[in-house]
Amino acid sequence: MLTALTYLLFAYSAVLTVWALVLTIRNTAAGKGLLGATGGLLVLLIVQLVVSIALWGRADGTDPLLFFGYLFTALLLVPLAGFWAFAELSRWGPAVVAAAAVTVFVMIERMDQIWL
Amino acid sequence: MALRTRRSAPGTTGTATGGRPGWSAMHSGPGRALTAVYGVFALAASARAGYQIIREFDEAPTAYTLSAVAAVVYIIATVCLVIGNRTTHRIAIASCLIELLGVLVVGVLSFTHPEVFRAPSVWSGFGIGYGFIPLVLPVVGLWWLARVDRRVRG
Repeated sequence: MLTALTYLLFAYSAVLTVWALVLTIRNTAAGKGLLGATGGLLVLLIVQLVVSIALWGRADGTDPLLFFGYLFTALLLVPLAGFWAFAELSRWGPAVVAAAAVTVFVMIERMDQIWL
Repeated sequence: MALRTRRSAPGTTGTATGGRPGWSAMHSGPGRALTAVYGVFALAASARAGYQIIREFDEAPTAYTLSAVAAVVYIIATVCLVIGNRTTHRIAIASCLIELLGVLVVGVLSFTHPEVFRAPSVWSGFGIGYGFIPLVLPVVGLWWLARVDRRVRG
């Protein structure tokens, strides 16, 4: 994977996790800021998808089903969590975003291991 | 799923408030968050089981069949938490118990019989590959379902 983008995704999902947790602890529902940031993570994952397809020739021996399985699961998870947080009017909306963001963090790490 | 316009109080009776029976975990914020986490696990376990069965089923059929079973149990638990009537409440309790039993039994077996479970599954090593969440989740689920039970029965 593109190293810079991988680190950006790590940092972004980590910051989003912490931010969402802070909102949960402070008993605040998800506002425009957090929902926008969740959308930003989706945009970064789409960039990752485009970059992965573009660089696929370099990743000789990487299992496409495994790699894109992770990527598409992440691409499905983030908007679902975003809509969930949008619909949820309590502190538990940001909690769902935190759970999704930390999941994406782990999935990026797995994708980085899978990419040869 | 909760809509932005709906802000009904948690159901205190077994009958509907806002069209949803009192048994549903979706009545309160923490219950909805728990349901979301269950949904994430249903998705993650299904994706992994699907991959393992398509690509490498012959390597460790026992572990991969268990992965598929785990995925199905997580899906059933998620659906039951959302629907929430007397029957699905019981099925959700059964699902959590199966999960707890599964993660404990597979966790022990993956240390005593590593050759059978050498391939990773959601439950191997007490769910170590998933931050031990598979071990914690059924306990939290059962605790939550017991709370719902107390609330509905008064």
